[in-house]
Amino acid sequence: MKRKLAAAITIAGMMVSVAACGGNSKDDSKDAGPGSWKGQTLTVWTMDGSAPPQWTKDVQAAFEKQTGAKVNFQIQKWDGIQQKITTALSEDTPPDVLEVGNTQTPAYAATGGLADLADVKKAIGADWTPSVSQSSVYDGKQYAAPWYFANRVVIYNKAIWAKAGITATPKTRDEFFKDLETIGKKTDAEPLYLPGQNWYFFDGLIIGQGGELVKKQGDTYVSNLADPKVAAAMETYKKYASYSKAPKDKDEATPQQAQVFAKGKTGAFIGMGWEAATAIQANKAIEKDLGYFTIPGVGADKPEGVFLGGSNLAVAQNSKHQSLAKEFLKVALSDQYEGELAKLSGIVPNKASLESNVQGNPAAEAAAPAAAGGGTTPLIPEWAAVENTPNPIKSYMTSVLNGKDPAAAAKDVESEINKRLAQKN
Amino acid sequence: MKRSLFGRIWPNATAVVLFAGLVFPVYWMFATAFKPTGDIISENPVWFPTHLTFSHFQKAVDADNFWTLVGNSVTVTVCSVLISLVIALFAAFALARLRFKGRRGLIVTFMLAQMAPWEVMIIAIYMIVRDADMLDSLVPLTAFYAVMVLPLTVLTLRGYVAAVPKELEESAMVDGCTRTQAFVKVIFPLLAPGLMATSLFGFITAWNEFPLVLILNKANDKQTLPLWLSQFQTAFGDDWGATMAASSLFALPILILFIFLQRKAVSGLTDGAVKG
Amino acid sequence: MSVQTEGTDTAGEPAVRKARPAGPPSGEDRGSRSSHRAAAPYLLLLPALLATLVLLGWPLVKNGMLSFQNLNPRQLIQHLTEWNGIDNYKEVLTGSDFWHVVERSLVFTVINVALIMVLGTLIGLLLARLGRKMRLLLMIGLVLAWAMPIIAATTVYQWLFAQRFGVVNWVLDKLGWHSMAGYNWFGTQTSTFSVVILLLVWESIPFVAINLYAATTTIPRELYEAAALDGAGAWKSFTSVTFPFLKPFLYSTTFLEVIWIFKAFPQIFAINEGGPDHLTETLPIYAFVQGVGNQHFGVGAAISFLTVLVLLVMTSYYLRMVLKQEEDEL
Repeated sequence: MKRKLAAAITIAGMMVSVAACGGNSKDDSKDAGPGSWKGQTLTVWTMDGSAPPQWTKDVQAAFEKQTGAKVNFQIQKWDGIQQKITTALSEDTPPDVLEVGNTQTPAYAATGGLADLADVKKAIGADWTPSVSQSSVYDGKQYAAPWYFANRVVIYNKAIWAKAGITATPKTRDEFFKDLETIGKKTDAEPLYLPGQNWYFFDGLIIGQGGELVKKQGDTYVSNLADPKVAAAMETYKKYASYSKAPKDKDEATPQQAQVFAKGKTGAFIGMGWEAATAIQANKAIEKDLGYFTIPGVGADKPEGVFLGGSNLAVAQNSKHQSLAKEFLKVALSDQYEGELAKLSGIVPNKASLESNVQGNPAAEAAAPAAAGGGTTPLIPEWAAVENTPNPIKSYMTSVLNGKDPAAAAKDVESEINKRLAQKN
Repeated sequence: MKRSLFGRIWPNATAVVLFAGLVFPVYWMFATAFKPTGDIISENPVWFPTHLTFSHFQKAVDADNFWTLVGNSVTVTVCSVLISLVIALFAAFALARLRFKGRRGLIVTFMLAQMAPWEVMIIAIYMIVRDADMLDSLVPLTAFYAVMVLPLTVLTLRGYVAAVPKELEESAMVDGCTRTQAFVKVIFPLLAPGLMATSLFGFITAWNEFPLVLILNKANDKQTLPLWLSQFQTAFGDDWGATMAASSLFALPILILFIFLQRKAVSGLTDGAVKG
Repeated sequence: MSVQTEGTDTAGEPAVRKARPAGPPSGEDRGSRSSHRAAAPYLLLLPALLATLVLLGWPLVKNGMLSFQNLNPRQLIQHLTEWNGIDNYKEVLTGSDFWHVVERSLVFTVINVALIMVLGTLIGLLLARLGRKMRLLLMIGLVLAWAMPIIAATTVYQWLFAQRFGVVNWVLDKLGWHSMAGYNWFGTQTSTFSVVILLLVWESIPFVAINLYAATTTIPRELYEAAALDGAGAWKSFTSVTFPFLKPFLYSTTFLEVIWIFKAFPQIFAINEGGPDHLTETLPIYAFVQGVGNQHFGVGAAISFLTVLVLLVMTSYYLRMVLKQEEDEL
């Protein structure tokens, strides 16, 4: 039996060594206001690609100087982020501050996982732009603070446009269509790269039409996809897509549209300003040909509607460092650092007064004029479920592009959308 | 029995075609990883990378915490495989060599345990681990991975134990060994190839696991390589060069391990069979 | 893992055991040894059983409990327990989705397992027939395909079948099938499944082929010689010697493949997340999308429970067979 004992000890030893691999330190100190901040550590989750390293460094230095506490930035990958945030909010020691997508914020606010930020709003939020801060309000309470926003622009290849003999960028939608047609005729380039499921561009067109994706029916929200305004937006999209050979059932990420554009055989694509960097990375030579302009609207006076994507910063309800976390928001979102972020990343900041920071950044300058007329997806907690893969609106887009009547296509996916909207939270 | 010319050629020809088909995806992964981006997104595929670049590998390795994650993955994988092998060996010996009440039920239990739908139990597992205050630790991961591979390990090892001729053990016992000594001195060495072969399944399972580690270990320095691999296919599209470089790095240790262990395992086995 | 996987099936005790003369019953069977002898098997099994019970049994029970709860992000975050009886099961079983998915999973499993077993067996037999060098070459190919970690393999297949710049479309186009230039493999159910099946077959064949080859090497030569003396041709000696010898191995391997294919998760999920339009969701994917993806954890738990039931039914034939054989052996 000695050997058996030896084996048991071996196993136990292994268990212990494994345990040693996964040492688990937890900081359970309670937050009792400014006096106790010193020596605490605040955990902040930001998404991959959100905060430039320079900004992170500066904010960290300012915050640590001001409070005497440490801040630990953890950059989160996009894969499975929803599961990660939901589960993290249920834990005793969640991340204290976390970045939440603006359209996702109402859903998380409704779970009770986010803390009320009324005092932060009072301290620094008096002049937040209404169109960007509305997503952080749920049930009349401030559950997050607007951080940064962005909208799509047209990114075009100057060389191809010059070859087609076009000298000025279009100011109206019809001019844009005419230019695309010219490119198709006079060059061998694909005038526009627009896959069938660039659904945030479509959402912008709906916003431009003044359309709504959902309507209230009694107590619940139901799909409004059959609305003529939505159908009109889809017709516009279809017209755009007719200038593209891109797949009708893919979104702009597969293949990455900027990489296709980088080959130099595409006249233009509709994307975020920073996608230009992806194109340059794939093909250095494309850099000198890159140009940007605001997506033109029906008339020259008003740009096309755009989807204002972006992120808010929220504080976890279970955070042990609530007051410290709020202090962090006050630093990170102060005019100084919000302005710095706008400057570094060329994003739309949370205050109109800070927009001057993007000057000299052509992509951001092209984006700015449209931001005022921007909008979001419906700001109801139920909406998040609609965008879950597979997104029924993307299916709708593909079937209209494949020739189906918009009303009939809307009918096909409406029951799925309504089912998702009806899901209890 | 003489074979016709055709009869001699077709097996070889088929083998070559099969080899090409089997290997191509692996080759294409490595080839893409070494190609500059311009050659990757090219209207005509570049079959043999001529302008080799290490930039994709650089990008893959430069990812935050890469070496920490390598360490975590290796620790979790090796620990879980060793634990499951040891535990399974005891069980396999009992099931193959000893006769006792309930043996049949136990074999079927392990067969049933193989069917466990781990991916869809992750929320239940998460809640258990959360409530035990063991999140962001490698211990639960190791333990769960060990149990994921345990049933198949038990059943497979049982076959290997059963294949060792009983006479060897009996003659050792006649020579004055105790049963335990007989096991350690006679059976265990014969089992070595079997243990190695069995460990392959465990290695590949633990090395690959994704959904569980995603929600159990959210601290960046407690994660494993599958999470690192997934980041190269982001919401913003696919960076095939970096993705293939990362896949290559991810696959390499397992490929080497397989080639090494598989040869030993197969040759050991055939030797055993001849001797038997 | 090699030929001895057939140990999962006692019907197929390896030849080495069958060939030996029936030895005397071994010591512990005489039953008159000291009592710790009788306890030995249980002690040896204890760690494995305990680990399984705690780390698999407990989550299973917990999962079962969750399936009777209304569990969404709000309940999870606030640690609320809201029992809702059999509502989740009612919702799943009365919806048409579930039954479609069950049907799809069954067809998917049958097609894959049939392809894997037939092709794997043929390649295994081919290995036995090849010369040393060619055998080594093919073996290397098999081992490489087998060893590719699933996530890496899935990613590579996405790249091979990528719509733009994917090498498969290019080859098909050059071979004269011009409509395949820029073809989107992940746009329809059939084409997505084609890719998934190719991937699964590619990575599963090596296991069957290598093990089957190893099994054939244990067939005693004398059996073939005897068959030849009886005037058996190649086909006859296959059906009278090779096949009966391999039958138990084929049974147990089929059982394993049914489980593995039915449970295949990363291969399908990573390729297209069950899309387009949920059309490539098999049961595990369906459970994951409903439960974790849409964050209706209670419903997901209910589906996963039903998934296990379906798998049990699918494998019940084999399990019954094992039960019976173990009984005979005792």
